Amino acid sequence: MKQIEVKVCLGTSCYVMGSSYLQELVDIVPSKFGDKVSVIGHNCLGQCTANWEHSEAPYVDIDGEIISNATIEKVLEHIERKL
Amino acid sequence: MFIDIDFAQQKKHNQNAYGDYFSSKRVPGRLIAVLSDGLGSGIKANILSCMTATMLLKFIEAGANIQKACEVVMNSLPVCKIRKISYSTFSALDCHDDGTVQIVEEGNPQFVWVRNNKEILNPQAQTITSNTFSNRHMQFYNIKLKKNDRLIFCSDGVTQSGLGSPNLRLGLRREGLIEFILKKLEGKPDISSRELSKLIVDFACRTEVDKKAKDDISAVAIYCRNPRKSIVFTGPPYHTDKDNQYAELFKNFNGKKAICGGTTANVISRELNIPVNTRISLTSGSLPQPMEMKGIDLVTEGILTLTRTSEYLEAPETVANNDAAGQLVKFFLDSDCIDFMVGAKINQAHYDPSLPVEIEIRKNIIKKISKLLEEKFIKKVTVQYI
Repeated sequence: MKQIEVKVCLGTSCYVMGSSYLQELVDIVPSKFGDKVSVIGHNCLGQCTANWEHSEAPYVDIDGEIISNATIEKVLEHIERKL
Repeated sequence: MFIDIDFAQQKKHNQNAYGDYFSSKRVPGRLIAVLSDGLGSGIKANILSCMTATMLLKFIEAGANIQKACEVVMNSLPVCKIRKISYSTFSALDCHDDGTVQIVEEGNPQFVWVRNNKEILNPQAQTITSNTFSNRHMQFYNIKLKKNDRLIFCSDGVTQSGLGSPNLRLGLRREGLIEFILKKLEGKPDISSRELSKLIVDFACRTEVDKKAKDDISAVAIYCRNPRKSIVFTGPPYHTDKDNQYAELFKNFNGKKAICGGTTANVISRELNIPVNTRISLTSGSLPQPMEMKGIDLVTEGILTLTRTSEYLEAPETVANNDAAGQLVKFFLDSDCIDFMVGAKINQAHYDPSLPVEIEIRKNIIKKISKLLEEKFIKKVTVQYI
């Protein structure tokens, strides 16, 4: 099965809006899902500029699907749904 | 030819202020520097040396002939009532881009001139005696530097280090200093002035009895060499249709390269077809981790990292080497000429009122950083808004 790829946006807006806390995913995800899911940081997913009037940072990309207002719980929920 | 200048110092043991003062400034076509040693130590010496160096620097910068400026200062320095000697000693230099240097020394140890890392040159000095105090003399030198030449100035804390120890009854002296410098240059021929001055000060401290500085110890190093050039690309260009043109300019730059900004990294990645690789760990310290792009020395997040970098440059003792800003500081300090390409396009999302107020305007941070690099770290900086 193809590995699910989780990209956490570490651009300025996302970082200050909470993606700094999402780094815990690096430890949580492997312990929960093993090597079925990988987590990496991303320099900027470009979502903040695309939707600057209604910012919903931080953003996380799970296999191409953008999660807005991302929290650890929200991300884990999405991963579970995909598995 | 680029003049790399830096200094290091150590205060006298048990004192809480430096008694030596170093100040330098680059003005178009020239580099001016003054090292002054205030009488005594601690706060008093600090004030005396600071005043002497600052006045001299301003005087020379304002266009006064260095010899004339130094003569005026020498003639007017007050005499200490107890010790009956002048309040401070100094070395001043006015270095021009073509390599000609005028040097004036009053009371400080004679500078060391090293050619090609091995030959010690002994230039002729003209002695000028004060017309108000007959016991005051200054040495005036007019020399011409060549590429790879080095000059080392120090306070007497260096040459007198180790004074009274069994094997150095008269201290390290100029001979001991020269021997040390030549040894270090042999081991690392392209050593930077920052490193060399630090090594000299550390060596002088180690030479001291009990390894405690008996006097303020300062060393200034000058090195003529090809400049280490670097470029920093931060912010996407205002006109998107010029992205490619600027990316190419960046690619063809001959020197070290850094990108500060997630979107900027994306623009360069797209235009030059270089993928951005993020590392596994997401953050280091309280900043996003640097990313990796082939052929680019450093890739970091933008505003937060730059803001932290300016804080670090303001207070270098607080630098955390493991975070992205610490790496950017190192990138700057290991360069002589730094070009900033600052994209003027704004990220509207940064103006969202719900974001912390710490998010600064890019132009302002770059202005602050470039001022610090120029004035505090004596770098040659150019800023281009694109």
